[in-house]
Amino acid sequence: MPVWHNATRQWVADGKLTVLGITQEQHPDRCRLFSQWQQFDWPIVWDPINSLESTAVPIIVAIDEHGIVRSTKLRPETFEQEFLNVTFRDDAPPAATTVADANNRRPAKPDLAALRDRAEQSQTARAFRDWADACVLWGGETEVDAAIKAYLQATRLDADDANVLFRLGVAYRLRLDSERREPADFQRAVEHWEQALARNPNQYIWRRRIQQFGPRLDKPYSFYDWVDQARREIAARGATPIALTINPAGAELADPARAFATESPAAESPDPDGKIQRDAAWLIQSEVTLVPSRLRAGGTTRVHIALTPNAVLKAHWNNEADPLLVWVEVPKGWQVSQQRHSVVPPDKQETSTEIRRIDFEVQAPADATGTVKLPAYALYFVCEDENGECLYLRQDISIDVEVLAVTDKEESQ
Amino acid sequence: MRFWNSLISVFSVVLASLAIPAAAETYSPRVGERHLNFTLPAIDDGRPLSLEQLRGKKVLLIQFASW
Repeated sequence: MPVWHNATRQWVADGKLTVLGITQEQHPDRCRLFSQWQQFDWPIVWDPINSLESTAVPIIVAIDEHGIVRSTKLRPETFEQEFLNVTFRDDAPPAATTVADANNRRPAKPDLAALRDRAEQSQTARAFRDWADACVLWGGETEVDAAIKAYLQATRLDADDANVLFRLGVAYRLRLDSERREPADFQRAVEHWEQALARNPNQYIWRRRIQQFGPRLDKPYSFYDWVDQARREIAARGATPIALTINPAGAELADPARAFATESPAAESPDPDGKIQRDAAWLIQSEVTLVPSRLRAGGTTRVHIALTPNAVLKAHWNNEADPLLVWVEVPKGWQVSQQRHSVVPPDKQETSTEIRRIDFEVQAPADATGTVKLPAYALYFVCEDENGECLYLRQDISIDVEVLAVTDKEESQ
Repeated sequence: MRFWNSLISVFSVVLASLAIPAAAETYSPRVGERHLNFTLPAIDDGRPLSLEQLRGKKVLLIQFASW
């Protein structure tokens, strides 16, 4: 977009052109940071559910003053001659406008209660989808539960609507990134994105959402490796970079790879005999998510482990001692990109309650089949309560990887 | 950014290859037809913005991602 931004800047300043951006990214603040870095001065709207049903980006469309599409194959060097300097006639049939469109050039947020009532009265998949869409786009964190329930109802009424499956995944991921998160939200997001993509494998907006969190062998590029550079350059201009709700890490920063890579030299298990006391009270709650959720024999998946202090027990990390460690065993024939992981506490606080995440990749052997358990464990200093006892504990984590058998047809290809 | 740089250099070719196939339930703006209206929240403050409110102006609509 920088090329188009530079090309159109003067036309926008002269009032000859209006630029409107649309981003389908899951996290809008990341696009805001990108826009701040690139000094885009045009508005950008957020469409995480891909309500426009675009199948890939970038897409650039020239639309005349009557709302008629004039070109989808644009070049900056001929844009002025072929579009800006041309007077177009209103020669297209009128669009099927809604009452809201016709009456209101300055749009308002939709009425969520009215959409809910319409869905509950009509009991149609489309009405539940419309209600859920509005909850995601306009309802904020407080409406994400309603969005999930409405999408689930839409899938019950029409199980074949792949758009709903994708959007349900978006809603689960939104909830994961909110204070309303529930166990398995991330895995449910991935599984619904996968179900959507299985129905329409040509949908690259959906494919990219999975690849964002998936293994390096499946990545077309690093998704957010530009973030650090953007922050440095914005700060160097004397501005404050836009803060991100969720900082990209791990899979979102990883570069693509053509071969499975493992760390070298191999690390040693920090508790090989399992002598460290177990976290029997679940002071720290662990959750494993696989992207993709299942893999073919010989395939790879990205394992995401989240470790969260138990809020009910008011548990918190003790950051004055050794950092959190996660160790992953390697079953025979399998490969693990990195066995030993360490998480450094944030901002040198003595205690903290943040979610700590690590991710790495595993590759199944060519003859793997069924569900394979990859043993792993975490070691951490955790405190039971304010002014409570702090303990160095171990939690065993089972990473259950479902390996799908390779069919004869796939093997012959 | 590597993606953007390579993409920009072959922009017109890539754009042609990205032409959306005419299929139900996909975005396929057609030259000479009115663009579908949409209302979506702005990424900076969440205010609703629609294509309709830009009627009377020449618009360059850019769908993109930061990656």
